[in-house]
Amino acid sequence: MKPVDWMRTDGRDISPQLGLLEGEGALQETGPQEEHVEKISEDSKKILAPDDADPTYYDRPLLKEPVWEWHVPAYYFVGGAAGAALVMGAAAQFDGSPGLKTFVRRCHAAGILGSMISGGLLIYDLGRPARFHHMLRVFRPTSPMNVGVWILSAVAPSAIMASLFHGRRGLLGAFGEISGIASGLAGLGLATYTGVLVSNTAVPVWQESRRVLPILFGASAMASAGSLFDFLVEDRQARRITYTFGTIGRVAELASSIVMERQAGRVEERVARPLQRGVSGTLWKTATALTAGSLLLSVLPGKSRKKRIATGILGLAGSLCLRFGTHYAGVASARDARASFRLQRAEHTSPARAAPPLPENRA
Amino acid sequence: MPDDGFHFTGMSYDNTAALGASTWRHVAFIERPAPLSYQDAGQFSWLFSSDVCKHCARAGCLEACPTGAILRTEFGSVYVQPDVCNGCGYCVVCCPFGVIDRREEDGRAWKCTLCYDRQRADLIPACAKSCPTESIQFGEIEELRAKARKRVEQLHQAGVHEAYLYGESAEQQPGTEGLSAFFLLLDKPEVYNLPPDPVAPTKKGKDAWASMGLAMAGMALAALGSVWFNRRGGRE
Repeated sequence: MKPVDWMRTDGRDISPQLGLLEGEGALQETGPQEEHVEKISEDSKKILAPDDADPTYYDRPLLKEPVWEWHVPAYYFVGGAAGAALVMGAAAQFDGSPGLKTFVRRCHAAGILGSMISGGLLIYDLGRPARFHHMLRVFRPTSPMNVGVWILSAVAPSAIMASLFHGRRGLLGAFGEISGIASGLAGLGLATYTGVLVSNTAVPVWQESRRVLPILFGASAMASAGSLFDFLVEDRQARRITYTFGTIGRVAELASSIVMERQAGRVEERVARPLQRGVSGTLWKTATALTAGSLLLSVLPGKSRKKRIATGILGLAGSLCLRFGTHYAGVASARDARASFRLQRAEHTSPARAAPPLPENRA
Repeated sequence: MPDDGFHFTGMSYDNTAALGASTWRHVAFIERPAPLSYQDAGQFSWLFSSDVCKHCARAGCLEACPTGAILRTEFGSVYVQPDVCNGCGYCVVCCPFGVIDRREEDGRAWKCTLCYDRQRADLIPACAKSCPTESIQFGEIEELRAKARKRVEQLHQAGVHEAYLYGESAEQQPGTEGLSAFFLLLDKPEVYNLPPDPVAPTKKGKDAWASMGLAMAGMALAALGSVWFNRRGGRE
């Protein structure tokens, strides 16, 4: 034991040896300041009379907000586009016309590149990136994140096999065909599971949108894959395919984002507030405007390359804004204790819950 | 536990503000200009409640964990294995009580373990051990429930009509199917920052999986339709 240097105590005269910590937790350093201490709303600094209709604990957040940073919404976007591209590629395989070969190959390439970037983004966001493989030591259907990691790890190998063997003759070619279809099926999962990942949480705005979020994310993935291939495709038939696919995606994206606004505000309107206000609200509205712009431009007459590129840029930007808007809406929603409280009171899933009687002497 | 820096909020004695990755025990302290039912005079009262991870029977964090780092111990508590956790942060958004959090400097998720280490050594959790007024009690859950019901009756007889138990049974809180920590409160749960009707997210997650199925079917149809509709010699 080291002797105590009493000159360096903090005035509380506590021997630091009394608080000597051992074990794994003891290796941690003290943070500058816990964030939740800083996040005090103005209301919490006043002593307020209890609001019996809408009570809170000094307006502090009930939930912990997502610790995920920009990598995660970026992953929704990249993974979605990659998944939907593989779906297009698998569907185009069924056509069999030789003109589509390049298109199918480009779909596979987009899928491979996208799933690689996705993996990188996901690993980078972990608190302990070196332990990313811990997710692969189990299969847990209760955890959408675990299911998603398995989907992602099925996408890359199947897409690689497909790109290596697609279009070859004989047994190898058949293997390539099967791999291509497998990559399309895995792509369907990759493009939509992120909607489950987000809505299978306690965050009110995400949880309330659970019936539409996987559809919205899937539609957004279709729109972004369609938009991406607006740049990449020269073959006329392939161009028409991506145009049809992307247009369906854009229409579905717009429709389901309107449905999401309604669903989120269905039981308690406060829950939908992050989609209307603040940074997340701005992103959300921008996404709608960009996607609508892209859709409008794509149905206008004219077949110039410039127009196609503009359509693609608007579509990609719209999808990107949508993912970031959804993410930051969740952050804002987790900060808002009233959203959770009001939603739970309004839903009344537990009528047996003992409600305390209010004292008679309270004004 | 690492030192959390002794940061004060400056608005109450509650200097931990909330449960988190570095604060595993929190005392809610509510000061307000309103009387309790047994008060004859004055328009002022204090409420206290010690808060801790509830170790839910259906734990959102445990079900969400993609690595299996979060498990249920032999004592029925929910524990994060620090040597397995890879810091994905999914448990953080899946806890309906906002308890578990990721430590910035450490990268892993941490929360109250209900003193798993002490329990394994046949000791009671540190919070119950150190509480001088025995407000925090630890024991067999059925015994504690009986004790708590008796205490509520006593309080009602003494004129504290608003006393009730929060999270005492699975019937009372079906969303979590019961808690391993329950509380005697004197006002609505929200006043103490407790959710009135928490639900383990997976219970509602079925809806999301169903619409994912729908989305996948829709996307497959859209892709096949786009190809078929634009087949060579089809439209032109």
